[in-house]
Amino acid sequence: MSQAEVVSDEIAQDPQQDALIEVKHLTKYFPVTQGIIFQKEVARVHAVEDVSFSIRPGETLGLVGESGCGKSTTARLIMKLIESTSGQIIFDGRDITKMSRKEMVPLRREMQMMFQDPYSSLNPRQTIGQIIGAPFSIHKTEGDSKKKVRDLMDRVGLNPEHYNRYAHEFSGGQRQRIGVARALALRPKIIVCDEPVSALDVSIQAQVLNLLEDLQDEFKLTYLFISHDLGVVRHISDRIAVMYLGRLVEVADADELYDHPKHPYTTALLSAVPKGYNAEDTNVSKRIVLEGDVPSPVDPPSGCPFHPRCPKARQVGGGEIPEKCRTEMPPLGEIETQHRAACWYPIEQGEALEKAAHS
Amino acid sequence: MAEIGEVLLDVRDLHVHFNTADGVVKAVDGVSFQVHRNETVGIVGESGSGKSVTCLTALRLINLETAHVTGEVLFKGKNLLTLPKEELRHIRGKELSMIFQDPFACLHPLYKVGDQIVEAILTHDDCGKDTAKDRTVDLLKAVGIPRPEQRFNDYPHQYSGGMRQRAMIAMALVHNPDVLIADEPTTALDVTVQAQILELIDRVKQDFNIGVILITHDLGVVSDFAQSVMVMYAGRPVEIGSRDEVFSQPLHPYAWGLLDSIPSVDQKGTRLIPITGAPPSLINVPPGCPFHPRCPHRFDPCDKDRPELADRGGGHPEACHLTVEDKRRLWNERERRRMKAPA
Repeated sequence: MSQAEVVSDEIAQDPQQDALIEVKHLTKYFPVTQGIIFQKEVARVHAVEDVSFSIRPGETLGLVGESGCGKSTTARLIMKLIESTSGQIIFDGRDITKMSRKEMVPLRREMQMMFQDPYSSLNPRQTIGQIIGAPFSIHKTEGDSKKKVRDLMDRVGLNPEHYNRYAHEFSGGQRQRIGVARALALRPKIIVCDEPVSALDVSIQAQVLNLLEDLQDEFKLTYLFISHDLGVVRHISDRIAVMYLGRLVEVADADELYDHPKHPYTTALLSAVPKGYNAEDTNVSKRIVLEGDVPSPVDPPSGCPFHPRCPKARQVGGGEIPEKCRTEMPPLGEIETQHRAACWYPIEQGEALEKAAHS
Repeated sequence: MAEIGEVLLDVRDLHVHFNTADGVVKAVDGVSFQVHRNETVGIVGESGSGKSVTCLTALRLINLETAHVTGEVLFKGKNLLTLPKEELRHIRGKELSMIFQDPFACLHPLYKVGDQIVEAILTHDDCGKDTAKDRTVDLLKAVGIPRPEQRFNDYPHQYSGGMRQRAMIAMALVHNPDVLIADEPTTALDVTVQAQILELIDRVKQDFNIGVILITHDLGVVSDFAQSVMVMYAGRPVEIGSRDEVFSQPLHPYAWGLLDSIPSVDQKGTRLIPITGAPPSLINVPPGCPFHPRCPHRFDPCDKDRPELADRGGGHPEACHLTVEDKRRLWNERERRRMKAPA
């Protein structure tokens, strides 16, 4: 049983390439208050806790996890749409954590965001031309913005003649293309995509994924790609980070993570996905069904946040959860080169997790 | 796995049209299929393909006065569409029950979960409140709700999404139905919870020996849990067959397109091949084959003649003008391309 080595500096630096964005020990608590005038904090939602990762230029980092695990909060923190409780965000060599709104304005051109819901993220009273052209007027760019908008529309596969139409005249997939065009308008360095294809039908989803890949090649974009769909994330990501209850539990290259997951949660998550038809392999029972639900982030479990549901911990302790899992938080240590996982008893190669017994 | 049994639900040439201000919406346009005992029928298709309307009509949950419905829905030999309301009431919710997509909207927020299930029991069975309560606790336990005695007195907001869906399943099972219709039961849930719920439905199917209709847009779910599959497009079935037939040798280009559009969890994807365009409006369904504007293999008759659902020699019914030889060749070429693709 190899234990996770504790790496002193939690960001494994690649000496050749500096990260475009680096996040260190990012933490966000939302207060739960009581009272009307004198609001007393009675509890805290531990939305994001001690999250550290970096994204290299041109790379796609996938962020996966179940609902409520803090994926979207992480995205919002990075975009500085909400303020972090503690931790550091370094974008392109500059620490943006404590920057004021005014100081952020020039940087906003370089960081854009795409949202999940193509219905609520577009203003129903504006024409498509106004929506896609908004970044140009906000940042007072030079040149003919109308022509730029038409070029953008053409690039993302919309008919430029539809410049004067309203959002409701478009289908879900086309609306998401409008979102892509708007994010792309100022030629940002990074686009944070928060579940950009989750609301779309599979055939349309594939069109948008292909578009995102083409644009990445063409404009050398960097993506932080958030999704709960493990197939989509594997398809588009170079590296993947798995979140559970506000913490990163595993970070590795996409293929490495899917082929040799180290964290029991990742293993369970991957096995839960219906695999699709495979004539040779009809053994459905390999699915690890986790017990219970994700615990509340208001009162996260002590030690490793996954320990109450962890099949591996139970296996190691012979039915009981080992003391270490219950009391000590495992660090996100490098288990193999470029493969980090936060687990005291990581899954070894070739090891099969037993299907957790459930009542 | 036990063999499939007798026919429980037999839908014959069902058409459901709605009159709207913009024109006639042909939501379901010629659907026939059967559900046998101990069989899960998966209905797949994109949004607006008529999956849900088919099942709502089968339960007669749509208003027959405003919708124009033709065809038959035979449940154990009785046509549900013409049955007197009184008789229908004895079948619906008792022998034929349904679980819906959104477990948040389907439980009354102001009543205790347990009381809602007791109400479902007492509707069809005059067994008395205490017996009903005991049965509810047993059911909650059977669907995997921890501490059912205490959970009985909880309100829906105190349940998580997965637990609410479990409670809905318990409610659907109160009278040991013969057919359970699950309309996208896991779409609102996370993958780990999805796995729990689907395994539960599968276990229920085997324990209670019932027929299940599983409506979903996720081909992975269908291939893992269904024994037979119906692929729908624009209100019509385009391919019907057993799971093995449809997934190992699909015959319709729409089915190929769906399979090509899904990024795989098992291997790093090569480029996805999406279906071009978007699904048609059901008011203006294209003439001929409704899929022809998006089909890469269309040829002469496709935009004029509507292909009927028939077995053209491929072993199971499909609706496409291509000859079976062409289909086999195209499918095998696709498989070869996929094999060659670097993993």
